[in-house]
Amino acid sequence: MKDSTSSKKHRKTALLLSILPGFGQFYNKQILKGLVFLILAVSFGSVFFEYMGVGYWGLFTLGEIPKLDHSIFLLIDGIIAVILTVMGLGIYAFNLYDAYHNGKRRDLGEGVNSVRKQYHNLIDNGFPYLMISPGFFLLIFVVIFPIIFVLLLAFTNYDLYHSPPANLVDWVGLQNFKDIFVLDVWRSTFFSVLTWTIVWTFGATTLQVALGIFLAILINQKDLKGKVLFRTIMILPWAVPAFITILIFSGMFNDLGAINKVLLPMVGLDPIPWMTNETFTRLALIMIQTWLGFPFIFAMTTGILQSIPEELYEAADVDGASVFQKFFSITLPLVLYATAPILITQYTFNFNNFNVIFLFNGGGPALPSQNAGGTDILISWIYRLTMTSAQYGKAAAITMILSIIVITVALWQFKRTKSFQEEDMM
Amino acid sequence: MTKKQSKLIRLTISYLIILTMTAIVLYPLLWVLGSSFNPGNSLNSSQMFPDNPTLKHYQFLFDLERSNYLLWYWNSMKISLMTMIFSVILVSFTAYSFSRYRFVGRKNGLMTFLILQMIPNFAALIAIFVLATRLQLIDTHLGLILFYVGGQIPMSTWLMKGYLDTIPKDLDESARMDGAGHFRIFIQIIMPLAKPIISVVALFAFIAPLGDFIIARILLRSNEQYTLAVGLYDLVAKQFGNSFTTFAAGAVLVSVPIALLFLVFQKYFVSGLTAGGTKG
Amino acid sequence: MKKNWLVLLLALFVAMIVAACAPDREEQAETPEGSDTGTEQEVTEEKPEKLVIWEDIDKSAGWLEDAIASFEEEHGIQVEFKELNMADAIRDQLRLDGPAGSAPDIVTLPHDQIGQVVTEGLIQEITVEEDILARYSESAVSAQMYNGALYGLPKATETPVFIYNKALMEEAPATMDELYTFSKDFTSGDNYGFLALWDNFYFAHAVLGGMGGYVFNETADGLDREDIGLNNEGAVEGADYIQQWYAEGLFPKAIVGETGGAAMDGLFNDGKVASVMNGPWAFQGMRDAGIDIGVAAMPTLPNGEPMKTFMGVKGWNVTAFTEYPYWSTKLIEHLTSDEVSLARFEAVSEIPANVALVEDPAIAENEGAKAVALQSQYAVPMPNIPEMGEVWGPMASALQTIATEKADAKSALDEAVDQIKTNIETNH
Repeated sequence: MKDSTSSKKHRKTALLLSILPGFGQFYNKQILKGLVFLILAVSFGSVFFEYMGVGYWGLFTLGEIPKLDHSIFLLIDGIIAVILTVMGLGIYAFNLYDAYHNGKRRDLGEGVNSVRKQYHNLIDNGFPYLMISPGFFLLIFVVIFPIIFVLLLAFTNYDLYHSPPANLVDWVGLQNFKDIFVLDVWRSTFFSVLTWTIVWTFGATTLQVALGIFLAILINQKDLKGKVLFRTIMILPWAVPAFITILIFSGMFNDLGAINKVLLPMVGLDPIPWMTNETFTRLALIMIQTWLGFPFIFAMTTGILQSIPEELYEAADVDGASVFQKFFSITLPLVLYATAPILITQYTFNFNNFNVIFLFNGGGPALPSQNAGGTDILISWIYRLTMTSAQYGKAAAITMILSIIVITVALWQFKRTKSFQEEDMM
Repeated sequence: MTKKQSKLIRLTISYLIILTMTAIVLYPLLWVLGSSFNPGNSLNSSQMFPDNPTLKHYQFLFDLERSNYLLWYWNSMKISLMTMIFSVILVSFTAYSFSRYRFVGRKNGLMTFLILQMIPNFAALIAIFVLATRLQLIDTHLGLILFYVGGQIPMSTWLMKGYLDTIPKDLDESARMDGAGHFRIFIQIIMPLAKPIISVVALFAFIAPLGDFIIARILLRSNEQYTLAVGLYDLVAKQFGNSFTTFAAGAVLVSVPIALLFLVFQKYFVSGLTAGGTKG
Repeated sequence: MKKNWLVLLLALFVAMIVAACAPDREEQAETPEGSDTGTEQEVTEEKPEKLVIWEDIDKSAGWLEDAIASFEEEHGIQVEFKELNMADAIRDQLRLDGPAGSAPDIVTLPHDQIGQVVTEGLIQEITVEEDILARYSESAVSAQMYNGALYGLPKATETPVFIYNKALMEEAPATMDELYTFSKDFTSGDNYGFLALWDNFYFAHAVLGGMGGYVFNETADGLDREDIGLNNEGAVEGADYIQQWYAEGLFPKAIVGETGGAAMDGLFNDGKVASVMNGPWAFQGMRDAGIDIGVAAMPTLPNGEPMKTFMGVKGWNVTAFTEYPYWSTKLIEHLTSDEVSLARFEAVSEIPANVALVEDPAIAENEGAKAVALQSQYAVPMPNIPEMGEVWGPMASALQTIATEKADAKSALDEAVDQIKTNIETNH
């Protein structure tokens, strides 16, 4: 038996050597792998080094000379530099790990793998990474990168008077968040908008879910005729692009539109000020969203119902269960169980449902003494802020607050749902 | 009350409710259809059943001299198709890995996907624009497609993973025994069984670009490159009152093929969406 | 072992950050900055090969190509143009394209955006000779000024006028009192004697201003952003007058709010409305709808004063990103010359700001143009300072609540002015 110091020799040397990428592998006599690491490192460094230097400089200073330095563009380049660095460090860390790992194998006298064996190892262990990487790569640039941008923007003073190219943007720490909660104008509007956002989210989503499930069960009755036709019709609102239907509803709910001119007189009611009274606008919005959203739930529930084994009901019949008992103890639990994760995404979707609010009445009607319109939810209020007051920094801060709310609630809910706790889900 | 009577009452009430809903669903849609045949231009004058229907709005849209509608249509179809193809490929890759392999970072990766789809990247339009400029993707359809595909990944991966989890693992195991490689198992065994969920993912990816006018407006510059959503939105945003009927005609032409697509895929679709939950 | 790695990675990260260095920009810094340039450049500025213009959408057909050709013939400079929506697209894309290096040399902007785009540094000051400035009406030039500097040349002016359906109204009334009596008689069911979007501050200012209100007080050094006159006695009187039209059912609720404009256009184009207050941009749609329209200046208010409508001036502006400010200025001088302006008017029917053209038969004999020119005498340019952005929202809220009778004029306007002041304080 060798003494313990010598048995750690290879792994230490390999690790130290691979501070220069590839050299640890050379030491482990894995020439090909070492070359790959070396070439990767050299090309990465030579291509990106200058870009990253400028990127970090821009990220920290946000520019020094107005008109020449464009703070926002520097910020964006800075984020890209950080992303590239993280990727580079990832490869580097793998290089270190690999050298150490193979050194250890040598210490233990196992010997390093042949190229052929390495290839198989790579395929076996690396296969999932290989499969994920293209999608993940795209995700980083298209989804994660913009989110980081908003996150950082929330800590800057980017507004009309700090707009490039004439002026520079500066880091201001938590100032935006402070303003939103301390300054009266911001605080009062923020909380009144938040209240309606919550009412809207729960009202509209719950209604669309309830209606979807109800109709699915209704149409699924065994002795009901015309299932295919009715199912087809019920899916139509989903099939027509939403922005088109919202604009159409906006026309129909107008005082001169079909609802006030044709439908209400038909049942003997007076015209209703849908667009100018905020209570009615809110009501109209919830109804429209229900119309737009129920088909999705309907389609899902229909699918679940079709897959519930008939024996369950037969057994219940034998026990003499009523229609309602069967519904509440068999159908509903099964449906909710199967759709829970998707239902939660419906809530988060409506929380951020900009299109319907914006396209229907532009967040209006106007309210006295308020910055936001009567039906503005947080996200459409953010839009208003950016458009009329050019308060980009504040808008980003509100976006962050809003995201934190959604994520917290959604994650908490997800963790509570049964299907999520199953080992297989995660 | 006899059993027969109660059945009769139940069915009558059911039919009544369903017919009412049918009316509510169809009314706005028929109204648009009617508007598109109205001779006038404005919203107010349009009727559901016009007195003297006309095809002039359709003719206008199909006249390449006067409107770019056909071009937009072509652009939109191209973008939607490409988005669909790429989304399906990338999403099945990621979903398959998450479903079948246990690897370092899997749990965090799944969690990240879940959170990502909840953050509105609304205030980040400028970042998207600058990124596209840096990569020279402004006013190209490729840029738009990449953004749409990226946007599809998180949600669709979750959907598809849920479905793949229900396909028994024994299948993979026995195939592996027979000496099939990772990729072959994926392509030859799992994918054919996942057809329903693939059709769901494909459909989502196909319709998402058709409903977006925000990112497309930022990235596309020239009228000839526009998608349907941007073009149509411009049409109403510019003069809602004066070209509503033309908009209606354009809307009908967009909606019909999508609706047909929905109906054709409906069967697959429903089983794909829900299988993740019921089994197991 | 894990810890060591972390330390190593951290050290590397720090090294990266230390490596972060400012770009080497001595060369660039020496190039002259756009806004410092003036006429002295005549000698130094090289002739560009081509200049790029962004013109409003659907507004280039029939005149711009000729104007470009004559400029090219004279100076040997090519000009390219592109059409973009003026209301927002030009400004928004200039913001993005400017720093990216693909900005045009010249854009067209509505004058009320000038304060904002100057603050952002998107357009630059220009210098032109006195005799060229004398070509345009004084108010149009003042609309192109911000903080005492000139930022563009006026291309066209517009202001709301009185438009009537000749089939329903024989001639335009001279006073609002006459119009009120007519409207009382005429209005029934879906038919209205007169409609105006007075819940929209753009149109409502005509009444509020005519009665004595003002947005920002005009002083010798420009607009005083502290002194807001939208809740003074005159403004309240004006708002009361506005409320009367809605309260008595002469205006339907359908024309209130975001979709109100579409509703009003629709009613008028269906021949149900005898007269409306609207801008010259609406003429074409009305004629297309088959309405025989007459156009006149707005009737005078009950206090005998003319309506103080808002005037919008569309101008040509030189972007801050051009390398050729001198030649760009030359080009916009050319584009707003009497000759080109007349050709432009004949092609797109936008009324030029050139004084010499008012007497030109093409304009003098055009009923619409004449009415706009007449009304322009009483019109005031919309304030072009960025603070104006804070006025629209609160005023729209106030006017909407007044129109729907949710509040009386005085309290609604007081609240709006409070809000405007707070917003200006917080945002500017």
